[in-house]
Amino acid sequence: MRLPERQLAVLEAASATDERTIDEIAAETGLKPETVTGAAFDLRDEGLLSVVETAAETLGLTDEGRRYVDDDLPETRLYRAGLALGADEAAVSMGRVIGEADLDGPEVDIALSNFARKGLGSIDSGELRIAADADPDADREAAALAALADGDDPAVDDAVLDQLDSRGLVDRGESVTRSVTLTDDGVDALMTGVEATETVSELTPELLASGEWRDVEFSEYNVEADAPTAQGGRKHVLRRTADRVKDVLVGMGFQEMEGPHADSDFWINDCLFMPQDHPARTHWDRFALDVPPMEGIPDELMARVEAAHRDGWGIDGDGYHSPWSKDFAREVALRGHTTSLSMRYLSGIAGAELEPPQRYFSVEKVYRNDTLDPTHLLEFFQIEGWVMAEDLSVRDLMGTFEEFYRQFGITDIRFKPHYNPYTEPSFELFGEHPETGEEIEIGNSGVFREEVTGPLGVDCDVMAWGLALERLAMLTTGAEDIRDLHGTLADIEFLRDAEVSY
Amino acid sequence: MPVVDIDTDELRGLTGRTDTSDEEFKEDLFGLGLEFEGETDDGLLQFEFAPDRLDRLSVEGVARSLRYHYGDDRGVYVPDTNDPEWTIEVDESVPDERPYVTGAVVRGVDLDEGALESLIQLQEKLHATMGRGRAKGAIGIHDLAMVKGAPLQEGAEPSITYRGVDPDGDTFVPLDSNDELTPNEVLDEHATGETYADLVEDLDRYPAIYDELGLFSFPPVINGKRTEVTTGSRELFVELTGTDQWTIDRMCNIICYALSARGATIEEVEVNYADGATHPSEYGAELVRPNFDTDEKAVGHDRIETLLGVDFEPEEVVDCFERAGLDASYTLDEDVTYEVEIPPYRVDVLHPLDLVDDVGRAYGFDNLEPRYPDVGTVGGRHERSRLEDAVRTSLVGLGFEDLLNFHMTSGTENYDRMNLGSGSDAFGGGDPVEITEPYSEEYTQLRTWATPSLLMLLERNTHNAYPQDVAEVGFAAERDETEDTNVAERRHVAGAVARRDASYEAAKGRLQALCDDFGAELETPRTEHPSFIDGRTAAVVIDGEEVGVIGEIHPAVLVEHDLEVPVAAFEFHLNALQ
Repeated sequence: MRLPERQLAVLEAASATDERTIDEIAAETGLKPETVTGAAFDLRDEGLLSVVETAAETLGLTDEGRRYVDDDLPETRLYRAGLALGADEAAVSMGRVIGEADLDGPEVDIALSNFARKGLGSIDSGELRIAADADPDADREAAALAALADGDDPAVDDAVLDQLDSRGLVDRGESVTRSVTLTDDGVDALMTGVEATETVSELTPELLASGEWRDVEFSEYNVEADAPTAQGGRKHVLRRTADRVKDVLVGMGFQEMEGPHADSDFWINDCLFMPQDHPARTHWDRFALDVPPMEGIPDELMARVEAAHRDGWGIDGDGYHSPWSKDFAREVALRGHTTSLSMRYLSGIAGAELEPPQRYFSVEKVYRNDTLDPTHLLEFFQIEGWVMAEDLSVRDLMGTFEEFYRQFGITDIRFKPHYNPYTEPSFELFGEHPETGEEIEIGNSGVFREEVTGPLGVDCDVMAWGLALERLAMLTTGAEDIRDLHGTLADIEFLRDAEVSY
Repeated sequence: MPVVDIDTDELRGLTGRTDTSDEEFKEDLFGLGLEFEGETDDGLLQFEFAPDRLDRLSVEGVARSLRYHYGDDRGVYVPDTNDPEWTIEVDESVPDERPYVTGAVVRGVDLDEGALESLIQLQEKLHATMGRGRAKGAIGIHDLAMVKGAPLQEGAEPSITYRGVDPDGDTFVPLDSNDELTPNEVLDEHATGETYADLVEDLDRYPAIYDELGLFSFPPVINGKRTEVTTGSRELFVELTGTDQWTIDRMCNIICYALSARGATIEEVEVNYADGATHPSEYGAELVRPNFDTDEKAVGHDRIETLLGVDFEPEEVVDCFERAGLDASYTLDEDVTYEVEIPPYRVDVLHPLDLVDDVGRAYGFDNLEPRYPDVGTVGGRHERSRLEDAVRTSLVGLGFEDLLNFHMTSGTENYDRMNLGSGSDAFGGGDPVEITEPYSEEYTQLRTWATPSLLMLLERNTHNAYPQDVAEVGFAAERDETEDTNVAERRHVAGAVARRDASYEAAKGRLQALCDDFGAELETPRTEHPSFIDGRTAAVVIDGEEVGVIGEIHPAVLVEHDLEVPVAAFEFHLNALQ
């Protein structure tokens, strides 16, 4: 018969006549008690050993109990302090006694309640008096604690132990002692001879090929020990959020747009019916680029957009009373929103002329000269989407955006009437943060004005909305400073540790 | 967004709602789109709102909106005006850059501290918004009792003159000063003058307003002390100058409506552009102002119903118009059309669509039931977006941490710290797309390649554990006048291996795996690049075309970035994997 080495050691240390405890066998074999226990149960399962379990009550001191062995029980300290201040003769104010006893915090209450219970004295109107016949030296609770501290049997009745238990000064528990004896089969096995199997540390290709793995025992690992964390690459947390958004929008029937980051002010602002003297178009808010003006804007389109700005659109339309120049329209800047892409697609210049119905989106970078802070960057991603169809209503807009945000766990969207130069009606979207319940702005939306769609040659309704991807990402990752995520200041550990969302 | 400061006691007085609490006002104003922002040090409540209804920039305007909201007022209101007595003469010397003027006389004014403060606030807020920081329109309000406008000839009307002045010519005592100053001295020495100097300092002649006694106001910079408005003023002269007649006329209307709401009487003035003036207003050379004419626009019932998604009776629509402070009439034809009258303080109604929005607000957008549009379309991602994504997935599988860096950078980072010159043939050495007048030294151009971004990130993370293998699929751009926008925009794939054993082989092994994923054939003929070590640098040639560079980063570049481990890197154009 072959047995693993440790089982063999336990079998040899066991006796057919005497019960031997696990600890005794561990001491004899030099194995760890838990190893012996494991081996003993394995041997029992083989029928070679019987295992008997005996339960016993254990009693020990808690940290608080141990402290009182050294410092005396709080009520005893109160008694002795009272004695020192002459409270056996005349009542002394509580404050003085507590101060003298050096009691504070919860100890004061403990001292007072037990002082009275044990009849060490009386407390009346804030003054303390000591009972003449009290004898704290005969306190059975203190004696029991001291005995336990010395490892002796406290030799007191259960009532005292119950009292100590309720004061949280002792721990009562149960311990199990296991003893083993050889069975008849075990004796037989030892008589006929048992060999130890070989122990190996590594499973090698040779062991596998030769079939020797059948006869070996594998050395044990500490399987609970920490292993160095494996490091793989992962997609950027913002990209993952963007992917999720793209999935949702594609699922809702939206096609993705793409187009230039550096574009003419014409596509970025003029098509959006943003007056050329609008505050957001000043030097301070945009990144103008030092390249020659863009010439490739269709003349007719340019003329229609200029007419909308100057004279308005339609019979009863009025224009802005703002200067407008082609030169400004041709200037090239970094786009402040991806609505420039929507303008290109709606005009047909990005591809085919579009016939309703259409749905389009993009999740792309935009550039704004903002003050850098934990929630603002000069570059960020804008989610942009629009729906083109005949006779769209505000209700369709509300229904579409409710569905989009529901996909991210944001429900109870509120639509606050708002103003944008390029949409009417316009709404700011507010929703509840899924965790904090806080009301937060989550987007801006509206129906494109006819001054926007008309010059582009679109004669049906187009509703659109936009929001910052980072805002959504901060909600879903819990990031508090956007600069940890985005850009060359990013902390690689933060990127590695960011929780995966899906 | 504009903010209006409201004294709620004033609001109670002006709305006649003496029992309304601050909290109730806050809620009612939220319904109108004015969001409570906080309190000023003086205990005024601040409300932020979108910059369309600029007539709400004062407590008087907000009160008017509330009275409509409560149903206490309905329809268009236009204050009565008295016939003109005063004239504003526009002299030929007026600077071409600021040719327009308008104004009004206001009598029977009774300003307490609060009302005066509200008037000044309205003036400043109109300057900041419609007035575009006073460039497009600036308001001057004067104590009429201190303006001397004796007629030049018998039987003529009293007048003031808008004209140009030699910057170093006449003097006057500006507000908040005791000194006689020329306009140029105001710009140099007076705090307000310094603030607004850039609006006029390039002009040959400065805008100025004169009366019989001489120069008394220097628009758009500062008024004179002589005509300062105080709580004792009973009659006011309001003048506005600017670059657009319509804009200053509307600003004037908003001021007049606010003063009228406090019981003052508005008296017209004549504005007389000089014969042969180079810039008479588009409304003629002789004007009577303020112009309280209402506008009219027509909007179809059908359009209102489809845009709001609600079926209305015409009476309901008219009710909504009236509660929005508009008047509407209609004829019951097959297609009902409303003729809508719009009061002269509204600056935001450019199209009939804006009237539909007013109906929606009066009806209550909250009352609309959302519905998912019954419109079928097919979704899908753009090809480039799918390619980028597939490359990222491969890079991540090869153990790279995916990065997302800024597209804006500086020449120092993009070239200098990489040992690279701009305008060179080396990869990444193309001409930069520079930002005109950059605001920060850190962001002066678009990056021409992505490897500098990877090194900046490694530089920032030297305290973290190695290996640090990082990659990015991202944007880069060069100046290129053959492009429509004069900017060539590309997507680059960049990877860097930073670890003790980083080597050319480590980088090439990963690049080879990536190319294999996309069935692309990789060759790496030897080349030179100043950012990399000579003899350990190759061109990235994919399917026969040179598209990038690979090699071990030059020690000088590593040291420049405080890196103490070797780095091997590659970068190439994403399109090569198409």
